[in-house]
Amino acid sequence: MRRLELARPFIKTHILLAVTTDLFSELESALSERILILDGAMGTTIRGYELTEADARGDRFKENHEDLLNNGDILSITRPDVIADIHKRFYEAGSDICETNTFSGTVLAQSEFFVEDPRKTGGIKDPEFFDKEVLSNSYLQDLVWELNVESVKLAKQEADKVAEATGRKRYVAGAIGPLTVSLTNVVDPNDTAFRSVTFDQVKETYTHQIKALLSAGCDILMVETIFDALNAKAALVAINEVAIETGVKTPVIISAAVGRGGETMISAQKVEALWIAVSHVNPLAVGLNCSLGPDLMEPFLRDLSKIATAAVSCYPNAGLPNPLAPTGFDLEPHHMAEFMAEFADSQLLNLAGGCCGNTPEHIAAIAQAMEHKSPRPIPQLSLV
Amino acid sequence: MSASSEIPRFLRLSGTEAYNHTPDKNFLMIGERTNVAGSPRFRKLIQQDKLEEALEVARQQVENGAAVIDICFDDGLIDGVAMMARFLDLIQAEPDIQAVPIMVDSSKWEIIEEGIKHLQGKGIVNSISLKEGEEVFKKHATHIRNYGAAAVVMAFDEKGQAATYDEKIQICERAYRILVDEVGFPPEDIIFDPNILTVATGIEEHNNYALDFINATRWIKENLPHAQVSGGVSNISFSFRGNNAVREAMHSAFLYHATQAGMDMGIVNAGMLEVYDEIPKNLLQAVEDVLLNKDDGATERLLDLAEEYKGQGAKKIEEDLTWREAGVEKRLEHALLKGLDKFIVEDTTEALEKYEKPLSVIEGPLMDGMGIVGDLFGAGKMFLPQVVKSARVMKKSVAYLEPFMEKEREIRIIDLAKRLQQKDESLTDEDARRAAEKENSNGKIIMATVKGDVHDIGKNIVGVVLACNGFDVVDMGVMVPCDKILAAFEEENADVIGLSGLITPSLDEMITVAKEAEKAGLGAKKVPILIGGATTSAAHTAIKIAEHYSGPLVHVLDASRSVPVTTSLLSEESRDAFIAENQAKHEKHRKAFSGGPKKEVITLAEARANRHQIAWDDYTPPTPEFTGTRIIKSQSLRELANYIDWTPFFHTWELRGVWDAEAQKLKTKNEEGAKVAQDLYQEAQILLEKIITEKRFIANGLYGFFPAYADGDDIILPEHGTTFHTLRQQQKKATGKANFALSDYISPKKSHGDHLGGFVVGIHGADEWAAELREQNNIDEALMVQALADRFAEAFAELLHHRARVEWGIERVGQLTKTELIHEKYQGIRPAPGYPSQPDHTEKPLLFDLVGAPEAIEVTLTESCAMHPGSAVCGIYFSHPDSHYFQINDLQKDQIEDYAKRKKMTVDEVEKWLGPWLGY
Repeated sequence: MRRLELARPFIKTHILLAVTTDLFSELESALSERILILDGAMGTTIRGYELTEADARGDRFKENHEDLLNNGDILSITRPDVIADIHKRFYEAGSDICETNTFSGTVLAQSEFFVEDPRKTGGIKDPEFFDKEVLSNSYLQDLVWELNVESVKLAKQEADKVAEATGRKRYVAGAIGPLTVSLTNVVDPNDTAFRSVTFDQVKETYTHQIKALLSAGCDILMVETIFDALNAKAALVAINEVAIETGVKTPVIISAAVGRGGETMISAQKVEALWIAVSHVNPLAVGLNCSLGPDLMEPFLRDLSKIATAAVSCYPNAGLPNPLAPTGFDLEPHHMAEFMAEFADSQLLNLAGGCCGNTPEHIAAIAQAMEHKSPRPIPQLSLV
Repeated sequence: MSASSEIPRFLRLSGTEAYNHTPDKNFLMIGERTNVAGSPRFRKLIQQDKLEEALEVARQQVENGAAVIDICFDDGLIDGVAMMARFLDLIQAEPDIQAVPIMVDSSKWEIIEEGIKHLQGKGIVNSISLKEGEEVFKKHATHIRNYGAAAVVMAFDEKGQAATYDEKIQICERAYRILVDEVGFPPEDIIFDPNILTVATGIEEHNNYALDFINATRWIKENLPHAQVSGGVSNISFSFRGNNAVREAMHSAFLYHATQAGMDMGIVNAGMLEVYDEIPKNLLQAVEDVLLNKDDGATERLLDLAEEYKGQGAKKIEEDLTWREAGVEKRLEHALLKGLDKFIVEDTTEALEKYEKPLSVIEGPLMDGMGIVGDLFGAGKMFLPQVVKSARVMKKSVAYLEPFMEKEREIRIIDLAKRLQQKDESLTDEDARRAAEKENSNGKIIMATVKGDVHDIGKNIVGVVLACNGFDVVDMGVMVPCDKILAAFEEENADVIGLSGLITPSLDEMITVAKEAEKAGLGAKKVPILIGGATTSAAHTAIKIAEHYSGPLVHVLDASRSVPVTTSLLSEESRDAFIAENQAKHEKHRKAFSGGPKKEVITLAEARANRHQIAWDDYTPPTPEFTGTRIIKSQSLRELANYIDWTPFFHTWELRGVWDAEAQKLKTKNEEGAKVAQDLYQEAQILLEKIITEKRFIANGLYGFFPAYADGDDIILPEHGTTFHTLRQQQKKATGKANFALSDYISPKKSHGDHLGGFVVGIHGADEWAAELREQNNIDEALMVQALADRFAEAFAELLHHRARVEWGIERVGQLTKTELIHEKYQGIRPAPGYPSQPDHTEKPLLFDLVGAPEAIEVTLTESCAMHPGSAVCGIYFSHPDSHYFQINDLQKDQIEDYAKRKKMTVDEVEKWLGPWLGY
């Protein structure tokens, strides 16, 4: 009872920050009272700023060998104003939690933009290449560290401003994306046991990102858009090991991207199987995002909602891609709000937001629709 | 009120698909064909690097229904780390294989470490142990936990492999405590392998190995909550290598006993398994003698017998049917004594041919047989469960004869009525027929559980016993209003009325029936009324009921007494003497009641001054995790079964003693009784299994916590607008002893943060099923169904209380063993309204309204405050460490007046409800 009061909006933020040290109980209390609002898409929202290759490079990467316009994460360094503005707009639209601009903030993912692809010169991407050219590349490591730290700072600064203005605390979730290489995917049809990377390499690159995110003070770690459940497992093992090493546990949100059959897009794991495989992390929430619109996502959200002894999050795409629509996606704000309201009425939701194609206007509509909805009661694992 | 559901704790695994080891999965067989140590073929394929074919072996296992596949490369000629990585990566490209969870099997840690890096799902590590000490064990367990796998824990420690029962349980308990308390390993993810070791080796110390495993399994399942038990089964029979018939028999007999003890899974070669029931009887006997270490000669005997089975298929041996060779009377007797119904219709047909008249069959061989059963029962050589079986056989036989009898009876009655009319011409046709019917009967008994009460197990048993003894029993069921009972008595032309009841208000209803029967003139006609049921007593019958009825009114203590009582009452010769004796007994009770030394009592004010004192200022009440109510629908029966206290189950069957869960034995001085109890227990297990797997019962319950404070003898729930009322002891106590009321256990300070809990549970489905079974003459199973439903209800109450204590923060998970739970060695109590600490049933509606039991879980109250369905339990929770159960009696008028005012009832009403506890 006492704990719940801390999350009430009328209490001044500075008092709230001073009193609250236990992030877990604070978030859990809030989740038991209402549906928390996540943010919308970073990538598709950036597109609205109509940036150029020159914007993305700035002065610092003027001479970079590869193009950087599609490296959204680099904008945290070259166009912090744009990233900060996007965070601000989402927080103002009602997001309780915004994700940092670090979806590809790993040494492995950033290597695509800063290390020459060996395939261009007749080589292959294999564990040896990643060891020699990527994981031991100190320029890349420092850049990725900086990128994560700056991204957290941007989100935090906007979170605090909006919290101050509205009297409601806002949170920053460090986004941990799926990588461009996979631990389960077969790349050589002649040797189906061959993998470009090893589990230990993937774990190492995630460990590096996680430490950077935490050093800058992000509140939550969000392993999201899981295409490959084994990649995700490496990230989760990394989180567990960092927690043991530092003695500090951080709330975790796990979110998978499933196809029309309800399986992770690359590793083909069903939603229930995935939950069983990740439940040892005791995540704050588990959920689904990306890949599908809310309509196609619903059956799998229901499956997950039945079994998960954690909060359930859901941030679908705004329908299917539609090049003619202004956001590039089908559904408008009121559509998303209607779908999410239906999910909430079916008691499927604890956290709601949007993925690709969801603008701040979408999030505002979702936030408004969620305002008086009661959250999904979170089942507990039986004690006896 | 929020309804947050719970996810039951099962071992849950996954590949790309989920595998939940739910109770209906029974035994989980893990194939050993992708294990180089278990399959020479697989080893060869791997050594020759024929991985495509090796992959086929895995695929076949999955196609054949393996729920989990074990993969092991422990072989000197294989690079285990590299092969494990490669093989598991290959599997990732095979959608059908990667669907199932994988057991990474190795005795080398580095192979396990590598293996779990290649599982996207949740697999099992096989295995870790305390072999290298606690530090390494904890390190490995933490590592596995970080990767989210389950683990097989071998019963090894620094000193080596656990061979004996004591070593096994000691090591497993130690490992469990480290894993659960220190590493934070979920208990359901711990799979113990307490070592299956080879028996019949000729070495005496090995003789008990199978039994040690089985007993250790049972101990683990009872004492280490949620832990699983596994083992490598083929080890057991190593000494019979080459003799597959014997090995197969040993495997299945061993599995039969080990799974009964709770073994959850095992590595088994499914091709090396005989169907338990198909094992030739003599081989099974010899194998079980060895496995269960029956005597020193067991190994020798199996070795001798094994010669016969060498290289040949199993022979079938007929069951012993020599009894079929005797005459039909002997066969019927045998069938009745042994409760065998297989040939009963065949034998009854034959007897009918021989005796011509169906009644002659009944009065001849059948009653003779039942006579022997009755004698043996009376002499304590047969037991109720066996008698009930006999009764079932009898009923089947009689059911066959009935149509014939009905025809005969009709002819006879018409004939008799004619003769009666010839004698007395004033008789109408109808009266003549009634008189004829009456003359034709041995004695007919109307039996009913009185209005407001739904309990009928005891009544049903009495009915069976009476029917076995040739009485006509008309069972009217439960909740039968007085007028219906009397009407049926008239209609049926009956001789005796039997009234039954379990709850206290039934005592009053029995008085009502006695009064009404008197008014209807039955007393004058000397119609006997029998009184029975758990709350009835000889004293209460004599003092409170008998005075309202001028006919014979007899208290019947238990079923075994019902026959002599009824026989005496209906026999011309012994009736008067019996009635006189009964009167004398009543007189004695009445005298003892009015003339006995009165207990010293005190006023309510004095009693309140001597309340139980708790230093509330120095006490912080525990805060529950939630307030309001939680509803549990369709609670897992499997989980409930763990909470069953079996002792009262045997009491239902009039088998006295205490059930020793560890030894699976009824502790009683009566050896034979213990044996019967054992059989009964086995039967109960079979039915229990059926109930659980077929979901025949639906267990619904709810519980909750409510902010509360005490106001005098009341407990006030300010946020819920409910007030519970308690009663206070008024006997004069020795110095230092308090006069208790339940309100003493709740803080009197309004803002102290104390809470009261409450719960209601009910078992749906049992009443209907039992009625259906009774229709089908399946009386013993009907009784068993009801008895088990009662056990489930109590078990559910125990489980919820357990959960409530944990959520209240006054007990931690796994703190108490099963036995300690049964013996209620926990903090806090859960008294039910209508029981000794608060005998007033009218507090129940308050509780039911508070938690919303009727709407949420369909458990309702009758006007007498009995719960429906019949197997239901309710109560309120107290958390204070001082709280304990006590007994209220000798209530004085001053308290009753005060209580009536607090409850807004009239003094008359209160006196009616609390009659037996009044001391004035």
